[in-house]
Amino acid sequence: MIRSPSFLIIFVILFVAISLYQIKHFITKKEIELAEIKNNVIRVKSDINILNAELSYLKRPDRIEKIALNKLGLKEISPSDIWNLKDLVNVTDSLINGKNK
Amino acid sequence: MKIFSLFDFNVRKDNQFKFRRIKLLTCSLLLIMLFTTIGYRTISLASLKTENISQISSKNVKSKIYNKKIRGNIYDRNNKILSTTISTLSLNINPQEILNKHHTIAKLKKIFPQLKDQDLSKKLNSNRKHINLLREISPKEYVSLLKMGIEGLKIKTKSKRIYPNNNLAAHILGATDIDGKGIAGIEKKFDSQLQEGKDVTLSIHAGIQHITRKLLLEQIKKFEAEGGAGIIINAKNGQVYSIVSLPDYNANNYNSTLSKKLFNKATKGIYELGSTLKLITAAIAFESNLINEDEVFDVSKPLKISSRIITDFHPLNYSINIPEVIVHSSNIGSAKIAEKFGSSIQLKYLKSLGLLNTLSLEIPELGRPQVLMDKKVLTTMTISYGHGISITPMHLASATATIVNNGIKINPTLIKNKDPVQNEKIISKDTSMKMKSIMRLVVSNKHGTAKKAEANGYLIGGKTGTAEKIKPTGGYFKKENIVAFTGAFPMNDPEFIITIMIDNPKGQKFSNGYRTAGWIAAPVVKQIVTRIAPILGVKPQLESESKFSNSLLNYKIRGKNKGANL
Repeated sequence: MIRSPSFLIIFVILFVAISLYQIKHFITKKEIELAEIKNNVIRVKSDINILNAELSYLKRPDRIEKIALNKLGLKEISPSDIWNLKDLVNVTDSLINGKNK
Repeated sequence: MKIFSLFDFNVRKDNQFKFRRIKLLTCSLLLIMLFTTIGYRTISLASLKTENISQISSKNVKSKIYNKKIRGNIYDRNNKILSTTISTLSLNINPQEILNKHHTIAKLKKIFPQLKDQDLSKKLNSNRKHINLLREISPKEYVSLLKMGIEGLKIKTKSKRIYPNNNLAAHILGATDIDGKGIAGIEKKFDSQLQEGKDVTLSIHAGIQHITRKLLLEQIKKFEAEGGAGIIINAKNGQVYSIVSLPDYNANNYNSTLSKKLFNKATKGIYELGSTLKLITAAIAFESNLINEDEVFDVSKPLKISSRIITDFHPLNYSINIPEVIVHSSNIGSAKIAEKFGSSIQLKYLKSLGLLNTLSLEIPELGRPQVLMDKKVLTTMTISYGHGISITPMHLASATATIVNNGIKINPTLIKNKDPVQNEKIISKDTSMKMKSIMRLVVSNKHGTAKKAEANGYLIGGKTGTAEKIKPTGGYFKKENIVAFTGAFPMNDPEFIITIMIDNPKGQKFSNGYRTAGWIAAPVVKQIVTRIAPILGVKPQLESESKFSNSLLNYKIRGKNKGANL
């Protein structure tokens, strides 16, 4: 006859062994998931890199210049197109004074 | 009880109790051993060996390529990608695994019509186990291959270095070899850093680089020149915004480019840059205190030294002072100034301005100046107007920056956030102001040689230079010139340096046959500055404003009978 303490010991041993095995499997699974996620991150980063490269290709200064000049009708800035705020105030003042006179 | 008596039935019968105990003990021992073994194995299996699991799982995910560090990117100063690494697919095949070769060839031809039947047949009938069919296939072609279900195909992922802007800054960026190792330009200089996956941010401005390249290229075509170089640097910290060397090449095709195009004329090529060196002569004259500012030099007659006669392109028939020597670009005047301060002082300043040594720019393609150092009077005189001294256009830009930056040495750099270094003072603030005033006159004065560089509002100043090209065998080509301009803007507080060099331009009908810097280099300076100044935040201003007139001196420049000198 197996006495109850022996039964308990066997039960505990079995329980610990099964639990350890379960934990090991759980961790292994998570390790694999983590490795997959890490690789996915690197892969996505690589994809982003490709997209950035494509964006950089599309934003080439020569291409943007052609679009700006030919499609948008923009033109190069000449010095007379640039005004200082101070100059604008002076011009506005002189216009107002001229009207008042 | 002896062991052999255990098999005796009578003995066993007599000692039944003892036998039971032996049996139990044996069984217990066996069970203990069994459980110990099972227990040990259970614990060893259950124990966590993190590294192994990671390795196994990584292998399972089979992405060897991603385990490698991706080479770092190269950015311009506005974080625009100039160079990056992407993953591409290559098509390989194992002929031993192919069952129906004719069928496979037909399938491959459908997706890759560029492949030749003969080549495919030869490769597929080979005894080898691994043959590369195509170095690169597109994702679309890859999907088609998967759909076709061809046996024996091996698709490999590999890294590829690409330059999205093609020709832009190709000479600066350089290239990598097939193993991803830097072999030229920034790729070579910062190879270890890039290999570690670290990025490099350059001081180059992609927009400015494009404008400089485009306008310089137009001028080169217009004057049927062999090539040229264009440099824009910050006058206060030496950060390089643009380095153009023409002809250039598509950086993605480095390996198939002719070496002539790979040559960096801006930093590697050394040239006699002619009268642009007169700026340095004048700076030395002011700085050495050996020449009185009001002192005049007779330039009415050609100057004969040893066997050589020094002449001016358009002679003047009176004596002129230092500012007039520069504005009229008088060789005779410059030679006479140099004769006064002598060879030792000249070499001392050339050295301190960095014109005798290789620059410390962050690319491997750097030229070493060649200067005649025989200390003869004739050599001192010719060096004063840029003959007998060969430097790179980048050397000239660096020296110009030092002259206009209140005399504080400027070392050009290609790195955006480089730690500032307190550099030595080469010339005084007073000399720098005099030089800036004269440089402005060269462009703004009606007798100046760079009148065509005048861009309203941006107050450009500088100096032109035209020199006969040196023959590789020695001596000079009489009908081939190097034309150059070096200057800064806005001249009252210079923020940027611009240096242009054009190699062997041809005289055109519209230039009255002239192939001089005033006709060729100066106009392109005006065009470039007008385009880039708004981008660089340089606001146009009037010369009459106190902000300008208070910071420069007003020298009087006398004219001559016919137009301006070169």
